[in-house]
Amino acid sequence: MALAITLLASVTGACGGGGSGVPTLNWYINPDNGGQAELAAKCSAQSNGAYRIKTSVLPNDATGQREQLVRRLAAKDASIDLMSLDPPFIPEFAEAGFLRPYTEAEARELTAGALTGPIESGTWDGKLMGAPFWANTQLLWFRKSVAQAAGIDPARDPVTWSRLIEVASAAGKTVEVQGNLYEGYMVLISALVSSAGGRILENPEAGKNVRPAIDSDAGRKAAAVIQQLARSRAANPALSTTDEEAGRSAFQGAQGGYMVNWAYIYGAAQEAVAAGTLDRAVLDDIGWGRYPRVDANSPSRPPLGGINMGIGAFSNHQDHALQAVRCITSQESQTEYMLKSKNPAARAAVYDNAEVRAVFPMADDLRSSLAEGAPRPRTPYYTDVSTAVQRSFHPPASVDPSRTPARAAKLIVDVLKDKVLL
Amino acid sequence: MTTTAAPAVGVPVTDRTRNEKRLGWKLTAPAVIVMLAVTAYPMMNALYLSLFSYRLTDPAAREFVGLRNYGVVLSDGLWWQTVFTTVIITVITVAVELVIGFAFAMVMHRVIFGRKVVRTSILIPYGIITVVSAFAWKYAFALDSGFINNWFGLGDFAWFGGRWSSIAVICLSEIWKTTPFMSLLLLAGLAQVPEVLQEAAKVDGATWRQRLTRVTLPNMKAAIMVAVLFRTLDAYRLFDNVFIMTAGAQRTETVSFLAYRQMISRTALGLGSAVAVLLFLSVVAIAALFIKGFKVDLSSVRGR
Amino acid sequence: MTDQRSFRARLGTYGGPVLVILWTLFPVIWILSLSFKPESGINNQKFLPDTFTLENYRTVFNTPLFTSALRNSVFISLIATLLSVMIATVAAYAIARLEFPGKKLILSLALAIAMFPAVSLVGPLFDIWRSIGLYDTWIGLIIPYMSFTLPLSIWTLSAFFREIPWEMEQAAQIDGATSWQAFRKVIVPLAAPGVFTAAILAFFFAWNDFVFAISLTSTDAARPVPAALAFFTGASQFQRPAAAISAAAVIVTIPVVILVLLFQRRIVAGLTAGAVKG
Repeated sequence: MALAITLLASVTGACGGGGSGVPTLNWYINPDNGGQAELAAKCSAQSNGAYRIKTSVLPNDATGQREQLVRRLAAKDASIDLMSLDPPFIPEFAEAGFLRPYTEAEARELTAGALTGPIESGTWDGKLMGAPFWANTQLLWFRKSVAQAAGIDPARDPVTWSRLIEVASAAGKTVEVQGNLYEGYMVLISALVSSAGGRILENPEAGKNVRPAIDSDAGRKAAAVIQQLARSRAANPALSTTDEEAGRSAFQGAQGGYMVNWAYIYGAAQEAVAAGTLDRAVLDDIGWGRYPRVDANSPSRPPLGGINMGIGAFSNHQDHALQAVRCITSQESQTEYMLKSKNPAARAAVYDNAEVRAVFPMADDLRSSLAEGAPRPRTPYYTDVSTAVQRSFHPPASVDPSRTPARAAKLIVDVLKDKVLL
Repeated sequence: MTTTAAPAVGVPVTDRTRNEKRLGWKLTAPAVIVMLAVTAYPMMNALYLSLFSYRLTDPAAREFVGLRNYGVVLSDGLWWQTVFTTVIITVITVAVELVIGFAFAMVMHRVIFGRKVVRTSILIPYGIITVVSAFAWKYAFALDSGFINNWFGLGDFAWFGGRWSSIAVICLSEIWKTTPFMSLLLLAGLAQVPEVLQEAAKVDGATWRQRLTRVTLPNMKAAIMVAVLFRTLDAYRLFDNVFIMTAGAQRTETVSFLAYRQMISRTALGLGSAVAVLLFLSVVAIAALFIKGFKVDLSSVRGR
Repeated sequence: MTDQRSFRARLGTYGGPVLVILWTLFPVIWILSLSFKPESGINNQKFLPDTFTLENYRTVFNTPLFTSALRNSVFISLIATLLSVMIATVAAYAIARLEFPGKKLILSLALAIAMFPAVSLVGPLFDIWRSIGLYDTWIGLIIPYMSFTLPLSIWTLSAFFREIPWEMEQAAQIDGATSWQAFRKVIVPLAAPGVFTAAILAFFFAWNDFVFAISLTSTDAARPVPAALAFFTGASQFQRPAAAISAAAVIVTIPVVILVLLFQRRIVAGLTAGAVKG
């Protein structure tokens, strides 16, 4: 028995985080290639001993990240000081009281010079809850040789999904999209609906009583695009399980023609060439343009993503955390981060930086896409809405414009009223 | 080997027996407490929570709804589809494992040389982490990293792109991992079939097949039923393989995975608890069916 | 005809074991092969690697997520096993040796626990653990592991205890030893193999568990290996590094293989309640 007690004591001891002197701020980051860890070190050094930032990695996908954070914040965890938040989850966290709102003065300072998309993503109920850090959007990436052969130039002339699928099918090349049953698929659906001029929810602020707007012309047009792609030769054979990396790998392969994907693609290809795992010729063959249109006459609304910095509401070091956020989201930090992690910054001025423009020849396209992009629905019940939409539209081959949007609308309402399982 | 007999009714209870009783309770108390603490109380809690409509991220909106959650679950197509998937996976895996496990048991029973090697290799799937097995099979059948399509000339077939092909891979992984366990249970039963009966049958001129069906199998009935019972309960609670391989996509969700998703991913504690309670009741029902219906003799179970 | 029969018999004797070994080791060799493939060569669609590299193992050992998970797993499993076996031993001794009302009930309880769906408990356990502060701690996992390994341990140990002749204990007592001394000097050495077996089986359960591992932990502080494998991340935010995961998988399989190699006879005996002799 005594042995058991000593064991238990040692065990509890092993879990306690001892800290004497310099307070440690825990920063929960999404996985990246080390960029945030570098920023953490830099900002710790810049604090001149006031605090030390330690990073902890969250799971790969946004839903997993949310899951981990929600559990701990629901347990009022005081050890969560800083969080790298995916914007769609900010309303939920804000409503649940998990985040410390920024004051008006702080908000003005942290959003100065930032693009509209990231600012909106971080705001809820009139208050800034997540400071813009970096912003993500998707471009249409294409193999120049394939596009030339097909006679289109997406870099100069905006192309519609229809046309893209047609030319790709005719040439035996693929159009890669994210069709796996996960958040990436919701990104696609939301972008299609927005590009068609519609929205997924009519009144997202209404909480449990939202009215879905996906069962509309816009929703049906979006469904039609997915149906056309899934049934065409241009679809990846494993479309229903393709995610960003699978799509990228297929795009760089023999049958790659076109792909919609996030901004990191070019940087990742450059790194692959440097590492010797990708042909230089493929890298030179990669072109980019604006996200494809659904209607030939209205500009597309690219999807928005990115990361906003949140401060935990139960943290014991909220003032230090605020200073850390200032350092992390400064223009200098954002420039460094953009160069290192290949993720676009949230501040407009960063795109004019010469070094950035050298690594990101598509800087202007990114900036305009971010300015004109449409966010996913902003509601505290975002997970339910997203899962309901994903489930209704999955697998992509089963999408039917006359039935799927209506099913999605009904499922959203039922789920929010707790009337069905999800 | 004798054991002390329990005092007959009517005989006065001696100090010795009273001490023995007290000692017995004292010694078993820690085990009982630990077992109950982690199962009884949380189960009661789950029952309690299932009567509410409760989202973890919105605790203020918690409201008592009585048995409505159960109504929602039991009338939901997703629930029945999940039950169907689980039952199919259970039936397939247990049936296949029974056959293959029996073959393995026979091999282990007869093998003369290399017994240690065979035994060791049979135990490795048992000891391997299920998650590891799930990853191994997943990568083998995946379109990009897998070799199965290459070996069998299947070209572009996306195993995880369809419902039944995904279920096939899940079943394969489960069968691979748990057949050893099944074969050990069957081996125990096989070892207990009296050799004299086999000899007598051989003398009577019975063929190998006749000996199998008329002598071996009937005498192993108890062991077979116990093995099937335990494996059925295990298969019904399948979780790890589904989580890693498909995350429930393509309608491959099992009941355990559904409960996990409602409770932990959606943080819908009310509905999730209802699913959890229903899962528990299903397991109890299956066990009852086997014990009462098929008259499985559990007193022959002396160790799993 | 005798030729055919002996050919078939020979096929069975040699072919059988070979088939069994192939079947059981096939996925293990596959994951081993995967772990030696470079991350960029993962998609070569072949069983064996084109280029052989150790970089995945280096990556894995440089990943704090994995090294802390390994540490967590080892300690949690060992402590849970130790505590579970201690409690099970005294309980099994009582069940095998003593007469007291409720004995059958306890055995039935153990059986019921063995059949319990763990998933049903994660929700309430998460709730309870977070309110008393055991969420994301070692103890938070050790307690459920103890509960679920107790049934198996009790069943195994009571079977072993029943095999020990009562007379030996009585003989020692007649020779002047106290009950406790008799227990220590006579019973314990005889029961040691059974205790050992129960410990191994309990360890396998704790090492293997996934449901509790992912639901009751959320950081490096307590996350064990199966959960860490599921959360393994790559260099970019979208990558799922198959090769690195395979390397990690191989590393955590090594202790299992060693345990099985050393103790296969005991494990078989434990699982079959001694019915199968080595």
